[in-house]
Amino acid sequence: MKKYLYVFRGGDDGYADQSPEEMQAHMQRWGEWMAKVKAEGYPLQSEGKVVGPGGKIVTDGPFAEGKEIVGGYVHLDAKDLDHAVELSKDCPIFEFGGTTEVREIITDMGM
Amino acid sequence: MQTSQLVDHFFRTEYGKAVSHLTSRFGSSNLELAEDSVQEALIKAMQTWPYSQIPDNPTGWILRVARNKMIDQLRRDQKTNNHEVPERVEEMKEDLSLESINDDMVRMMFACCHPTLSQEYQIILTLKILGGLSVREISSSLLKKEETVAKAYTRAKKKFKKEEIKLILPPAHEIEKRLEIVLKIIYLLFNEGYKSAEGESLIRKDLCEDAIRLNGVLLESEICNTPSANALMALMHFHVSRFVARVDQEGNVISLEDQDRSKWDQELIQRGLSYLDIASEEGGINEYLIQAAISATHCRATSFDETDWNNILGLYDLQLQLTPSPIVELNRAVVLEKVHGPLLGLKEVERLEATQFFEEYYLFYAIKSEMLHKVGNIEGAKAALQTAVDLTKNEREKDYLTNKLSNF
Repeated sequence: MKKYLYVFRGGDDGYADQSPEEMQAHMQRWGEWMAKVKAEGYPLQSEGKVVGPGGKIVTDGPFAEGKEIVGGYVHLDAKDLDHAVELSKDCPIFEFGGTTEVREIITDMGM
Repeated sequence: MQTSQLVDHFFRTEYGKAVSHLTSRFGSSNLELAEDSVQEALIKAMQTWPYSQIPDNPTGWILRVARNKMIDQLRRDQKTNNHEVPERVEEMKEDLSLESINDDMVRMMFACCHPTLSQEYQIILTLKILGGLSVREISSSLLKKEETVAKAYTRAKKKFKKEEIKLILPPAHEIEKRLEIVLKIIYLLFNEGYKSAEGESLIRKDLCEDAIRLNGVLLESEICNTPSANALMALMHFHVSRFVARVDQEGNVISLEDQDRSKWDQELIQRGLSYLDIASEEGGINEYLIQAAISATHCRATSFDETDWNNILGLYDLQLQLTPSPIVELNRAVVLEKVHGPLLGLKEVERLEATQFFEEYYLFYAIKSEMLHKVGNIEGAKAALQTAVDLTKNEREKDYLTNKLSNF
């Protein structure tokens, strides 16, 4: 098993006119999907901070473009990249036009 | 707690609670901001809860996040007005008692059903704010165009602002009259859900559940826990107890006579009966009490033949005295036939036909057909039933009546 990272971007545009009932249903599908990939993920706050050169904190700026926002991430164990991609395919983020980027996390630095 | 463990319609009910709470606190001129803030809080819940888990007190979480969002916005607007904006909170302890939120909702119900608003506005405001339905959902449950509902909602909110409708309880001497309007709206919502005028779905159960939920909110409030409110609650329980039995697997209507009574939900009937007891305690009579008593009589009968029609006829007579209406008279005619036979029933139906009130009402012709059939006038029965088929817009009803016609 290798470690992978799902990076979720976008999808937020469609949320504003969802009804509470639809939101709950969407959230439930997220929960089911999460359970399926058996991930241990932690949400990234959407009001994120960007750390600039020298550790100086620059806020909000780069987050202005909705589609570029990292909505959150989840890391998981999968056999290989294909397997990780396969698991991401029914992620509910696609319902609102968001994307999921799959990255392998390097755990063995070859030392 | 996992996201799947949230009760059904949790977001929708929380929406009503939180908007009522925030509008009570910050004034009805901020209704729109309250709606936006709660919407944003729900989006945040939707985006974060699946990652970790649902907070121990999800209601408190949503209220706190919505309130803080609202305060942030009010602070941003502060430059243009001088209202005092309270501090953000980390906990919502002081406002979290169930009674307090319930009271906020009761105030909101009185506001949405304010006498200066038209009945259409009252219904839409109630569904949108307290029912937590979107404009799209309201339009499909009321079978209206989305655009029409959206426009009406905007106008309703404008009127709400213009009339400066405050979220306060009506003064004691007005409670009875004002509560009557609120109950009427609940009753209309329930009817809308129970029997649609047209379209595919005969029972839109959600609307009925909303009506019951809102009536429950009223009963929690001492000043609104009146005999009428209990009677309406009883009536709705009796009706929903037959939900499953009312339609077959294909969604076709099953008449009271042919329903499998073992499918009636006895728990709902029992709850209905206890509301009926409370409603009858003070000995007064109201419209809902009579209807509930009629419904209870059906619920108590183990079979159609054992129905106590004499009792029901007496109740209809009472209702005619209290609220005379051609619809009540028509229903009474059906009962009259059960008690005194088809000849008398038909005579009554013909008397009603002469009033010309029922010319467009399919159910009248369905009933007339039934009476004619029973006295042996098959041709007349066929013709009346054909008129009923032509008049109904509900596909299910049409199928039911057409099927009946082909069996003559």
